[in-house]
Amino acid sequence: MTDSQGHDGGAQHRRLDAVWANWPGWRTLAAVNHTSIGLRFMLTGVFFFLVGGVLAMLARTQLALPAQDILSADVYNQVFTMHGTVMMFLFAIPVLEGLALYMIPKMIGARDLVFPRISSLGYYCYLFGGLIILSSLFVGQAPDSGWFMYTPLSSAEHAPGMGSDFWLLGITFVEISAMAAGIELTVSILRSRAPGMTLRHMPIFCWYILAMALMIVFGFPPLILASVLLELERAAGMPFFEVAAGGDPILWQHLFWLFGHPEVYIIFLPAAAVVSTLIPVFAQRPIVGYRWLVLAIIVTGFISFGLWVHHMFTIGIPKLAQAFFSVASMLVAVPTAIQLFAWLATLWTGRVIRSLPMLWIFGFLVIFVCGGLTGVMLALVPFNWQVHDTHFVVAHLHYVVVGGMLFPLIAGFYYWLPHFSGRMSTPVLGALGFWLTFIGFNATFLLMHLTGLLGMPRRVYTYEAGLGWDWLNLLSSVGGFVMAAGIALVLLDIALHFRFGRPAGRNPWNADTLEWATNTPPAPYNFASLPALDTRHPLWRQPELLQSIPAGEHGLTDIRHGRRETYGTEAVSGRLREVIHLPGNSWLPLLGALMLAVVCVSLLVRIYPMALLGVVGAAVFLLRWGWENGAHPRAAPLTANEPDNPPLHSRTCDGPGLWGMWVTLMANGTLYLSLLFGWFYLWTAAPQWTTPETLSVDRVAMVAAGLVLTGAVVAYGRLVRALCKGRATFLAGGLLLVTTLGCLHLAVVLWALLGAGLTPTEHAHDAMLLVMFLYLLFHAGLATVLSLLQALRVRLGYVGVRLPYEPVVLRPLWLYTLAVYWLSVALFLFLPAAWGAGG
Amino acid sequence: MLQATHPFQLVAGLLVWAIWFVVLYAGLSVGCAVAPPAAEQGDLNWLNGGLGAISLATTLLLVLAAWRCWQAAAVPSVDRQGAFFARLGAAIHGVSALATAAIAIPVVAYPPCV
Repeated sequence: MTDSQGHDGGAQHRRLDAVWANWPGWRTLAAVNHTSIGLRFMLTGVFFFLVGGVLAMLARTQLALPAQDILSADVYNQVFTMHGTVMMFLFAIPVLEGLALYMIPKMIGARDLVFPRISSLGYYCYLFGGLIILSSLFVGQAPDSGWFMYTPLSSAEHAPGMGSDFWLLGITFVEISAMAAGIELTVSILRSRAPGMTLRHMPIFCWYILAMALMIVFGFPPLILASVLLELERAAGMPFFEVAAGGDPILWQHLFWLFGHPEVYIIFLPAAAVVSTLIPVFAQRPIVGYRWLVLAIIVTGFISFGLWVHHMFTIGIPKLAQAFFSVASMLVAVPTAIQLFAWLATLWTGRVIRSLPMLWIFGFLVIFVCGGLTGVMLALVPFNWQVHDTHFVVAHLHYVVVGGMLFPLIAGFYYWLPHFSGRMSTPVLGALGFWLTFIGFNATFLLMHLTGLLGMPRRVYTYEAGLGWDWLNLLSSVGGFVMAAGIALVLLDIALHFRFGRPAGRNPWNADTLEWATNTPPAPYNFASLPALDTRHPLWRQPELLQSIPAGEHGLTDIRHGRRETYGTEAVSGRLREVIHLPGNSWLPLLGALMLAVVCVSLLVRIYPMALLGVVGAAVFLLRWGWENGAHPRAAPLTANEPDNPPLHSRTCDGPGLWGMWVTLMANGTLYLSLLFGWFYLWTAAPQWTTPETLSVDRVAMVAAGLVLTGAVVAYGRLVRALCKGRATFLAGGLLLVTTLGCLHLAVVLWALLGAGLTPTEHAHDAMLLVMFLYLLFHAGLATVLSLLQALRVRLGYVGVRLPYEPVVLRPLWLYTLAVYWLSVALFLFLPAAWGAGG
Repeated sequence: MLQATHPFQLVAGLLVWAIWFVVLYAGLSVGCAVAPPAAEQGDLNWLNGGLGAISLATTLLLVLAAWRCWQAAAVPSVDRQGAFFARLGAAIHGVSALATAAIAIPVVAYPPCV
């Protein structure tokens, strides 16, 4: 504890702490607080980083000398696949998500994220998914098809073991975590900033994280779909990627890289957020070109989705298409350059303070610029063909990812170390760690460019002597171990600082952002009172906040009600509009994630009844989670003295839940669009795609089911509009009517499916139709069940005229279900007939 | 949402760019699958012509939108928040126009389906 905590060490602190603290001992596993969850993400990420690092050292040991057989070819394949998988999926993304989850509420002046239980669920999905993937190493069944799992190499024919299944199921499980963080961060940034913090007053860190979160929302669904399809192919024989049955392995590449290239920017943007936060602090001046940076962030977020085919230049697509993607790939360097010049201008015009975090920023600038330049080289199609699948690409990838992510991340760790621990690191050991890492990294990967240019292919477990690669590989391996020593010193430095580091005091770097107005380490509620802000640099413009916030001189200080609360504000103007009440510690996320882990493991070992039990268990816990909301006694029951200025969010017709639903549906819509892409891709490009001459699905029944669904959605919309106008006379009955219509719709669609006689294991066409049917049934079923629960909640008094929120939140799901239904009927059932197939 | 000072302008130009990009790539792919022009025709064929026309129209639309935002930012009665969105919107529309034009340039250089 630092001296700063004396400011709020009184009765108010104890009252807040009683409401916000994690449960003690092992019961801390039920914590949902963003500080705890963020730290757990980061610590778990560091653990996986060490695992990935050990795998890298194994690979470098094998390649150090020619003709070695320390690792067999099979084990080497598992090692490099797991290295890439662990580093990309279990370290890079989660650790940055953890940093964002930890920082965002503190930077925007909030007490927590808006969906704390989702944060917790996300963490456990990440942990369990990561452990499931990691366990594959210990049972000798690790995936061995490369971190991008290209089909048919990863298909059942060429990868008959469980390795690919570990990857597909484990990664999909982990992706739940990424999606959770994406939705959570988007809504929190947009709807829970401090009063007065308009969009243009947001710290630049938040712009980066907002872009990252939205990129996750739109970038991950293609891979989720691809993983589901490939697992269905492997487990159930549905031939999405099998040419002979009308599938196409290239579809996997499209779906994977539709995710995979944006993913590079998903990990670069938060790292750049760290850079853009640290440089002004150590230059002691505001960042140059705030607006230019916002421009660059938004442009990067979009353009990075238009590059994916540059990973596929050698598969034989037309040269004109290659040229489109080549130009787009070069264009994305422009917004990156804008950021670079803004950083340099800030340093140039400021008074730079030399420090350990800045040393890592210096390393980032050097390495990332080199990685960016080789990226532009690889965007050139002829050059790309020449070095495709060589170590040049491996070197480029590491320059971009290590330079663009790891160096800023360590800079950020050192910068925020006092925030985590209340102590400063030791400069000497830290600097030694930096230089060893920097020198070791360049020795490994700078030389690897040359190895690649000399023709050494990647993913080979050994090579003959005398090809000119010997000394380069030896030096790369030596460099790898030097870098590992550097990382070990950094970890030692961080470990020692908890014991020997000098106390940091408050705001030790004289930073401008609000996270330094909390205690160090922070209290679970962050701020004893929530200030109004109208500046990007609150601690430079209003340094008195350091005292006035803990002294309780700002808003939302009343804690007698025993609820966790933070402010809800308008997305653009930052105007105060409601008080968001938040859930406290809960076992439900952990139990839900455990059940999902049961599903994952059961599918892996193919014990399907157990998987079904897991699904039921997960549904029970997740629905219980939804039950403890709004006016439920464990949330915010109605009282005689309801606050009304501003009101609690569950008493309004708008709130973070509604925003969360829309963002979730955006992700869901991207998944659906990916399915449509797969449908049209196979239809137009699969060499042996066949459509049945007569479609067996009863289209009249499908139209009838659509009309019933339309009736349900119209009825639901009327109920919600009436409710928000203060009328709820027929609410419970109306919800039961909607439920009945939903059940009728489900019955007709199910009847049409069962009567269609699809042969999904023989034809990719029928396999796609089956997936479409399952998608529609799931959504209609979910909306129906949730409506039934709403009807029950009306009866129990949890929903009504004074509590209209929940039916409002559910409405977009009904609208979405209706939209995808008619779209599916049109594009999967009627369009092929109109085109002359399947009539 | 269509006002030049609305925050939607922060993404509007790039949404147009994204839709154009999908149309460009999908149009090329479907065109080549359904009625591929002969390679001997070079870049003078219906497919390149169509893609080029769509690209030109999109670029002009984006330039126009950039100009509109820029003008709106200069209106004295616009508040600082509105001016922030308008200026940024102008830049984003401008970048989107540049990206559209640059990516489309190869339609005048390559046959589409080779």
